[in-house]
Amino acid sequence: MSNMLLEAKEIHTYYGASHILHGLDFHIREGEGIALMGRNGMGKSTLIKSMLGLVRPRHGRVLVRGDDYTRARTYQTAQQGIAYVPEGRGIFKSLTVRENLLMSARAGIDGRREWTFDRVMATFPRLGERINNGGWQLSGGEQQMLTIGRALMTNPDLLILDEATEGLAPLIAMEIWRIVKEIRKTGIATVIVDKNHAAVTSICDRAMILVKGDVVFDGTSEEIRARPELIQQHLGV
Amino acid sequence: MSMKSLDVIRDEHRALAAMLSGMRTIVQGIEAGRLKPDYDLLASMIEYIDKVPEKVHHPKENEYLFAKLRLRCAAALPVIEALEEEHRLGEARIATLRAALEDYRQQGETGFAAFSDALRIYIADEWYHMNTEEGQILPLAKAHLTEEDWVEIDAAFLANDNPWQGPAGEYAALFSRIVNTAPSPVGLGG
Repeated sequence: MSNMLLEAKEIHTYYGASHILHGLDFHIREGEGIALMGRNGMGKSTLIKSMLGLVRPRHGRVLVRGDDYTRARTYQTAQQGIAYVPEGRGIFKSLTVRENLLMSARAGIDGRREWTFDRVMATFPRLGERINNGGWQLSGGEQQMLTIGRALMTNPDLLILDEATEGLAPLIAMEIWRIVKEIRKTGIATVIVDKNHAAVTSICDRAMILVKGDVVFDGTSEEIRARPELIQQHLGV
Repeated sequence: MSMKSLDVIRDEHRALAAMLSGMRTIVQGIEAGRLKPDYDLLASMIEYIDKVPEKVHHPKENEYLFAKLRLRCAAALPVIEALEEEHRLGEARIATLRAALEDYRQQGETGFAAFSDALRIYIADEWYHMNTEEGQILPLAKAHLTEEDWVEIDAAFLANDNPWQGPAGEYAALFSRIVNTAPSPVGLGG
């Protein structure tokens, strides 16, 4: 498919002897939004890490726009316009907000620079108020905004958010979702891993549920919202 | 049948619950001496509750969900009437809360207990109201409304893209201001 952005084919990933992903298939097209859901330990983050080269799958292939990136280093995959907002945020705490943002600034793979420093400031006005503060001085919500802002500074085609609202107060989480929704409207493809199925399915077109390293549901967000028994069974809420 | 509006209703309830939970945490912080009262912030939170849940969410429930369910399920009538009465009283209840805050602002510390009580009562009433809707009305709606009913109800509710921002996003700035001002752990403020 010409608009296919990232694919995983028959991925098997292990942690030592533990078989985590069982021949899993995944794909996302340009502009698409996917809610990747499942209980803890079902393989969501491992799938993301397997595709980004942070964990090496033992079998299977990873394709970026049809090219084989199975053995690519993480930075090489990232340079294909894939930005990752990891669980735990991972900002540089000794750098200021400005430095965290500017250090990741680069053009997208087609040379476009839609996400400038000023645009990120406009999207996250709170960061503007903290621009000269060190990363260590930021609250959890501010760190999350900084991590997303930093990812946008790479002008990505695909933004992957892993547990973006984990541990945040409800009001802050809602503000993050509001901003992510605005980002989605710009056409950036997005994979969102989160436990809040209501929030993520309202933002994404497609939803996947993983159970023990297998895909048990892959359909539209509308379909999953119409099937509360699936949510009950696999997400335990 | 899509019934997407049920998700929107639940989302809107979550938005209100988050705001109420934030207010309760702030008041608990003031009571414990951890926080100083920020009257403007509390007034903004009350304004948000007044503008979004009271003036946007409740009328949609009355005009679409309750109106259709009235026609389809006689057993739901007593519950609907009680909820509609609570909706009618909503403006007066929020006015009571706002007045209690203004008294607190004028009187300082001596007005705190009355405001805290008014907030506690408001939150308890809202939780009871939302639980009744989600526990009784939504299941009855799922069981009794027709596909045509849902098309109309969905259209009304889905016109609101971001439930906590208001129908056209007009309250996004108010919401963001609250989040940016409210002290940690409720918001991002200092």
